[in-house]
Amino acid sequence: MTRAVPLWLYSLSSLVLFFGVWQGVTVLGLVSPFVLPSPVTVAERAIAMMQRPFAGALLWEHAFSSFLRFLGGFGLAAAIGVPLGLMMGRFRLLDEMVTPVFEAYRYVAPLAWVPFAALWFGTGVGGAIMVIFTGAFAPCLINAYRGARLVDKHLIEAAQTHGASEFRIATEVLLPGALPSIVAGLRVSAGLGWQSLIGAELIVVSSGIGYVMIQGQSNLSPQTVITAMLVIGLIGLLIDVGLRGVETAVRRKWEGQ
Amino acid sequence: MMPTVAGAVPAKRNAWRPRVRRSVVTGVATIVALLVAWWLSTSVLGLVGPARFPSPEAFVAALQRIWTQGYAGGTLIEHVVQSVRLVFVGFLTAVAVGVPLGFLMGYDRRIEAFVNPVFLVLRPIPPLAWIPLAIVWFSLGDASKVFVIFVSAFVPSVINTYTGVRNVRKHLIEAALVHGASRGRVIREVYLPDASPMIFTGLRLSLQASWTTLVAAELVGAFLGLGRALQTAYRDVNTPMILVAMVAIAISGALTTILLARLEKRVIRWRAEA
Amino acid sequence: MSEIVIDKVSKIFGDGGAKPFVAIDGVDLRVEDREFISVVGPSGCGKTTLMRMVAGLETVSRGEIRVAGKPVTGPGPDRAVVFQQFALFPWKTVRENIVFGMRSRGASREERDEAVTYYLRLMKMEGTADKYPHQLSGGMQQRVAIARSYATDPGVLLMDEPFGALDAQTRTIMQEELVRVSKGNPRTVMFITHSVEEAVYLADRVVVMGRNPGHIREVIDVASTRQAERWSEEPIDDVMEKPSFTHLRGQVWRLLREQMGADV
Repeated sequence: MTRAVPLWLYSLSSLVLFFGVWQGVTVLGLVSPFVLPSPVTVAERAIAMMQRPFAGALLWEHAFSSFLRFLGGFGLAAAIGVPLGLMMGRFRLLDEMVTPVFEAYRYVAPLAWVPFAALWFGTGVGGAIMVIFTGAFAPCLINAYRGARLVDKHLIEAAQTHGASEFRIATEVLLPGALPSIVAGLRVSAGLGWQSLIGAELIVVSSGIGYVMIQGQSNLSPQTVITAMLVIGLIGLLIDVGLRGVETAVRRKWEGQ
Repeated sequence: MMPTVAGAVPAKRNAWRPRVRRSVVTGVATIVALLVAWWLSTSVLGLVGPARFPSPEAFVAALQRIWTQGYAGGTLIEHVVQSVRLVFVGFLTAVAVGVPLGFLMGYDRRIEAFVNPVFLVLRPIPPLAWIPLAIVWFSLGDASKVFVIFVSAFVPSVINTYTGVRNVRKHLIEAALVHGASRGRVIREVYLPDASPMIFTGLRLSLQASWTTLVAAELVGAFLGLGRALQTAYRDVNTPMILVAMVAIAISGALTTILLARLEKRVIRWRAEA
Repeated sequence: MSEIVIDKVSKIFGDGGAKPFVAIDGVDLRVEDREFISVVGPSGCGKTTLMRMVAGLETVSRGEIRVAGKPVTGPGPDRAVVFQQFALFPWKTVRENIVFGMRSRGASREERDEAVTYYLRLMKMEGTADKYPHQLSGGMQQRVAIARSYATDPGVLLMDEPFGALDAQTRTIMQEELVRVSKGNPRTVMFITHSVEEAVYLADRVVVMGRNPGHIREVIDVASTRQAERWSEEPIDDVMEKPSFTHLRGQVWRLLREQMGADV
């Protein structure tokens, strides 16, 4: 069947419409530039922020310092959440002990940890890492747990009958068996962790790309805010694409998909 | 699939009852142990100072204070009502727009092709990153919170509804068609129910995102609400009140989630228990 | 009168593209009103595709299919399908599933209640009306699916390996049941299967298909033998031991084996 209008034309027209309307309403003065600057203004602002420091640093420097913090908090969440989840999947007693505490913890919105994070670790790197950790921890643990529970019991029994220690069972059976699920969890974690960091930088941390937004907001410069939003989106996208690559690679290797 | 031996089934069923009881006992014991450890380390042994974490007594005192006298511009109930109200308004608006949009995108490829590019541009931006722009647009009042909650709850509603509709089982659609169902009936009696588990997954994620965003938005700036109480307590270095606000946020979030789970159970009665 | 006329029908996937694939090539077949035919053939012979074209779930590339004189343009309640995966609506009770097709033609409430009672008794599953499909065994689920298609009251019933997902014992019982049910409610039936026994036991005529591309190899008459020996009055096991049955089965088998020989 041939369609009267090819699908890509719908996609193209939607993008043209989106940016066209945005540019249109701003150029025609339908909205104040202090509310919504035009796409061109935003682009100019982005270039300026790459050349001249704003809020103490160039745009990419802000972005990079945020990204480093993200790596710290995310790495910590994975380093604790994944082994704990695997062990909970293996040992029932641990599962029964941790689960009620974990369930209670899950209902605390990650950003609600900001005050304690700031009091305990300061408003610099430490506090930010803790907030990222609280945001990213849950999916790491849950997916490792689920992955471990789904590992074929026969594989564990096969390892046991061949004299494997608990450590070897964990590293050579549970971890690889649960890996597809773990990597899927890491992807979700990364998204939540990245977003928690932005939140922390909006609230208490006085540096990083989130702080740029707050400065832009108080300077009544929406173009600065939007530039930072786009950079945040771009970094989030890159993190996600990277992890998606890992996910596909793992899937292909383990499940032959 | 787990291989089961026919004879093993009754034995497993018998073992099941005491195990539930055991897990409850372990769970309660763990929580009690943690509470005792909390009390010992703060009130009795003084291992953790009050500026780091409050003692249980201070927690109760703070709870009493915010309950009766109020704190940060309102009593606990007033803060809770404000926050829950904003979450509901933002969440429901997002669902009311997001679910139909996701449905249409899953149902008609042309609509998908039209909406997707804009979605792809906007989606990677974390909802929290909309807070400053929302303040520029709507200042610090309710409107800016409802807006960011809408943004955060919208995306999971759309994506999961879309996925649910795209994964509607083809042979069920065919079964409806060969038994003479009209397009409207196919949508109502096949697409909607078959997509509903995914739609509810989306609603759950949306609700969770709503709370995260609300707390962040109120922390950034608000006149009333649980996030406002949290922020004030932080400024005052009032650790007991910080904990009260955190617990209140968790309980409010849990109650709304349970409400949604009830609704889900009622709607999807037909499902085999996993 | 609901006869099926398949008139020089071909199915070409990717027609007009770089690599068109001819699934079915020039099939001619006429199924008489209230005749039961079964279609067997090696996998890839296009038997399911042929049935789906009659159902209107696939388009016809060349030729035409007419049911009761009218060309098929899409799916409709005059040609109900029983699927291999049952395709019961999991969110509907047994009762709601059975009346699904009846509601398409606006059957009244009394009519529907009557039909549910009738078919549940016919299928020997009274008392299950308010159960959900997941509470039933596979055999029971397929009974409901068959009841749903009968209740729609189509002139033509199309069955796509309806017993393929059932275990051997259930399958045998269902074959007997189908003979019993269709005796009391004769319809034009096109029954797709890969079981030779099933095909010979159930059908008036067995259509043997071949592949590369899909075509009809031979049509074997069973009806005369069945009527002469009164198969439908005897248990399935006895029928299958009759020399006439084994002879017909052997005949179909040889036709199938000739084509598989090249690959196996």
